[in-house]
Amino acid sequence: MSEKRTGVFVCHCGNNIAATVDVKKVAETMAQEGTVAYSQDYVYMCSDPGQNAVIQAIKDNQLDSVVVSCCSPSLHEKTFRDNAERAGISGFTCEIANIREQCAWVHKNRDEATAKAIKISRSAIRRVARNKSLEPIAVPVVRKVMVIGGGIAGIQAALDMANGGLEVVLVEKLATIGGHMLQLSETFPTLDCSQCILSPKMVEVSRHPKIKLMTYSEVKEVSGSVGNFQVKILKKPTYVDPEACKLCDECTVVCPQVVPNEHDLGLTARRAIYIPFAQAIPASYTLDEDACLGLNPIRCGKCKDVCEAGAINYDMRPETVTENVGAIVVATGFDLYPQEKILEYGAGNVEDVLDGLQFERLCSASGATKGHVLRPSDRKEPKEVVFIQCVGSRDPAQHCAYCSKICCMYTAKHARLYKHHVPDGKAYVFYIDIRSGGKNYEEFVQRAMEDDETMYLRGRVSKLHRTKDGKVRVMGTDTLTGMNVEIDADMVVLALAMQPSKGTEEAARVLKIGRDKDGFLAEAHPKLKPVESVTGGIYLAGCAQGPKDIPETVSQASAAAAKVLGLLSQATLSHTPTVARVRNSHCTGCEMCVTACPYDAIRLENGKAVVNEVLCEGCGSCSATCLRAAIEVRNTSPLQVNEMIEAVLSF
Amino acid sequence: MSEQQKYEPKIVAFLCKWCSSAGSDLAGVSRIQYPANATPITVPCSGSVSPMYILSALKKGADGVLVSGCHIGDCHYMEGNFLARRKLHLVKELLQFCGVEENRFRMSWVSAAEGAKFAEVVKEFVEDLRPLGPQEKLKAKRA
Amino acid sequence: MINVQDIRDTARDLLAKGEVRAVIGWRAGSRGMAAEPCVITKPEEADSLVWDPTCYHNLALNLVNDRKELRHAKQSPGAPIGIVAKGCDARAIVVLLQENYFKREDVYIIGVSCENSGVLDEKKLATQLKGFAPTAAAFAGDDFSVTTAKGENKIAAREVMADRCLECRTPFPKENNTALGEDKTGRDIEPQFAALQRFEAQDEAARWDFWQRQFDRCIRCFACRSVCPMCFCDECVVDSIEMKIAPETTAEEKANRIRWVERSATRAENATYHMTRALHLAGRCVDCGECERVCPVNIPLRLLNNKMEREAREAFGFEPGASIGGPSLVASFRDDDPGEFIR
Repeated sequence: MSEKRTGVFVCHCGNNIAATVDVKKVAETMAQEGTVAYSQDYVYMCSDPGQNAVIQAIKDNQLDSVVVSCCSPSLHEKTFRDNAERAGISGFTCEIANIREQCAWVHKNRDEATAKAIKISRSAIRRVARNKSLEPIAVPVVRKVMVIGGGIAGIQAALDMANGGLEVVLVEKLATIGGHMLQLSETFPTLDCSQCILSPKMVEVSRHPKIKLMTYSEVKEVSGSVGNFQVKILKKPTYVDPEACKLCDECTVVCPQVVPNEHDLGLTARRAIYIPFAQAIPASYTLDEDACLGLNPIRCGKCKDVCEAGAINYDMRPETVTENVGAIVVATGFDLYPQEKILEYGAGNVEDVLDGLQFERLCSASGATKGHVLRPSDRKEPKEVVFIQCVGSRDPAQHCAYCSKICCMYTAKHARLYKHHVPDGKAYVFYIDIRSGGKNYEEFVQRAMEDDETMYLRGRVSKLHRTKDGKVRVMGTDTLTGMNVEIDADMVVLALAMQPSKGTEEAARVLKIGRDKDGFLAEAHPKLKPVESVTGGIYLAGCAQGPKDIPETVSQASAAAAKVLGLLSQATLSHTPTVARVRNSHCTGCEMCVTACPYDAIRLENGKAVVNEVLCEGCGSCSATCLRAAIEVRNTSPLQVNEMIEAVLSF
Repeated sequence: MSEQQKYEPKIVAFLCKWCSSAGSDLAGVSRIQYPANATPITVPCSGSVSPMYILSALKKGADGVLVSGCHIGDCHYMEGNFLARRKLHLVKELLQFCGVEENRFRMSWVSAAEGAKFAEVVKEFVEDLRPLGPQEKLKAKRA
Repeated sequence: MINVQDIRDTARDLLAKGEVRAVIGWRAGSRGMAAEPCVITKPEEADSLVWDPTCYHNLALNLVNDRKELRHAKQSPGAPIGIVAKGCDARAIVVLLQENYFKREDVYIIGVSCENSGVLDEKKLATQLKGFAPTAAAFAGDDFSVTTAKGENKIAAREVMADRCLECRTPFPKENNTALGEDKTGRDIEPQFAALQRFEAQDEAARWDFWQRQFDRCIRCFACRSVCPMCFCDECVVDSIEMKIAPETTAEEKANRIRWVERSATRAENATYHMTRALHLAGRCVDCGECERVCPVNIPLRLLNNKMEREAREAFGFEPGASIGGPSLVASFRDDDPGEFIR
């Protein structure tokens, strides 16, 4: 220990620190420490002359370690570690003593603050005395990326990255890509046809030489870390060879099994063998195993008999494919908040009460009613339609606390679409308030009110029920007039909140990435890292991260793509070396650290724990769990912490 | 009585790097004043705080020990604070069982956005420790 | 009732067939009537095995020692070792298996149920006999018969049975290769943790007053640690003397052991030692009571361990020694672990 040569640099931060802390006294007191060979104070340590002074002092005094008593390490740890490197010693032998945010700025009494600054500095000196000179761990990078989710977010991210030169694997759970956007009729604020703008992108995906499309597939397991993930993908059998399928539709004609069509949200039916919609990508049929009369043993076999192309193969089996990728973009999207949970609006049991996506399918030219707005119960044109906003959202007591963000806009769109389809109809919108921030959004809502004469009623609907004459009675309050409102509507459309999709839940579990209180995937920083997950190399795009509309989704997808392109442009990544280290002599192989590790970074080999240094993030859960002091985090060892405790309690 | 007034509780505060240490930084940036009794030791995660650290601090004469981490669900390392919660629950129970004052050990969740809460936690802790006087039960007497 | 002959037959048979290389059991002791642990390797030694109320030792400790010897000699275990195990011994073996100390196939568990009985607390017996030395003893249902120089005495069993046996809920060794006796799992003669509850009813000052007297008394002979099958570490974190040196031990490690606890047997050091032990046994201690039995200064160590055991059960639904496959208490968590104490 006596040969240790630490340099201490105490910053005045102009007057920020010096006003409360006797900086000179701190520097002088630290000079007395056994391991300290050099100590100085300076007005702005982070200024050019300050930094140069550090470098010069390291060289002149053969310092092997550095403590800078200054502001928070989040600001200048990197600065001074770089200085240490420039002076020829390891950056990991430099530690920051935070005497500004955690001391000078929060105390007034000069003596107390000075005493505390001394303790903080001394504890950093003790720590650094046992810091090891470490080198960053170089991690080779796989220049391939996986996108989970084939909605607009996943499609956009995949195309951007593929066009940027990366190999892309796009994994989609359903039989086709397209996602919810493909269910939409028109999009706000321009009312252009959703399918018309999305289909070309879908085709581009299917034809792109750098994109490997895996539909009807699910990500089952992910290991590894940034730069090198191993992903196990389960490819479910479609029982139809897409190469051979001629899309002749003969198979659906003979299929005896009828089930609700998910693409039309149950407003239409499909057969067990089906194509989700005409423009599906890949353009092929899928045999829905669960709906089929039976494949093992074969109970029916009609589709195979009728298929002239010989595309149907009952012997297809689930297949697990392993892909090695350097980064992952999660674009697993949203589901609508289930109507069953809205008890006051009939919990989904009142006829002609639809959710927003069902209404889209009614308006869509390719939808259930071929573009005529007809209500499901009697297929008559509804003359009075009530739209209810904020259903399931902004209701912390019963449902979701958050604002679902897009419902004001899509309700305005629905009202307008309805009026365009049924010009003599009457549209009512119940709202709490209108949130129409966005380019041309407010104008769009105004047009819904003025051009399309939608009646906006400010207030909540308390309940609704079916009347004897086949109407839906909507009872609410107009809080602007203070009157109770009762409307016998032909149809009601609920603007249900967006919630994280089931796939988003699964992705979070498989990828071990955090979710926020509402279940959406958590970004690494709400402002500065909005597309990064907390795990390196995993990025977020679209509604999996939070409710958003199409333009915002596309921007986020492109942003995630840009991040991945940046990340994978490097040949190697560097990983912090302050990771766990096993003391073999003490390890008994009890596996407690293996269980405790949140990253699966520890495994047992020949009865001893072995750390995968690339996976390890250095959290120290293993170290605190180990009963035998057999594992510790480099440069934060229990020995160091114990000495820091002593320093903190030194007087 | 003058002895009593001079007594300033010494607190060792283990702060996780990502939330509570950042939260205390925010208290600083916001210039929220709080007593200087708690000296921080920044650790990677509340989950890295070994029960030994707490016993050691008390033995070395700490009047109070604070462990502060990210809120449940916000852990930078996903699960570290869950492990901390379980482990330190046992420490808390054991200390109380042995007759060490409940207020000697404290745990809090302070996010990076909760500068004011951090100041409040320290303030309250100091106030709760003051009437207890110096911690002598587990403090080693050195010759 | 277990017939000791069944234990002997089982052990003899296993040894004769070569299914085990040795059997750990109890034999008649050299000190008064108390049995002592033994390791037999020949079929003909089986007749020396005994089963009586003085078989209080946790034989899992001998299993640990056997494993240490093998490791030291760098030998592979070969055939499994047999062990006669009470309910608590078997639970200890489960914890050791949970921590991979050895493999399940390395041990052959001859389970013996304590049924409605248990083992003797010699201190209680001495009080009852008022100075007379016992020469033979047996539990028979609710009665305990003991022979002394003055003839045979009958004492109510509960008066002389070890506390942990009175509170025992799992007298049957569930983890076994073969089991003798009835499964009386779930019986408890006295409510579990009754003493703990009484203790906790006292206020903080009284609790500290009690414990400081205990901690003051400790001479740090480490008997509690030595007798504990869970304390199988080669180097103890709270022992500043014993140190495991291996070829890879760095000079710094040699020079700088963390001294969590100093050598001197003062109150603070002793308190830290015992608290650390309680924490390190949390979720691992099976309440075999051996630490308390061997303590030369009568520190009620079960109280500390019971506190942790009850906390593990009530707060985390955790039962030590219940299953081999389950995770360790402090290496795992549940989303709804209590957190009300956190501000």
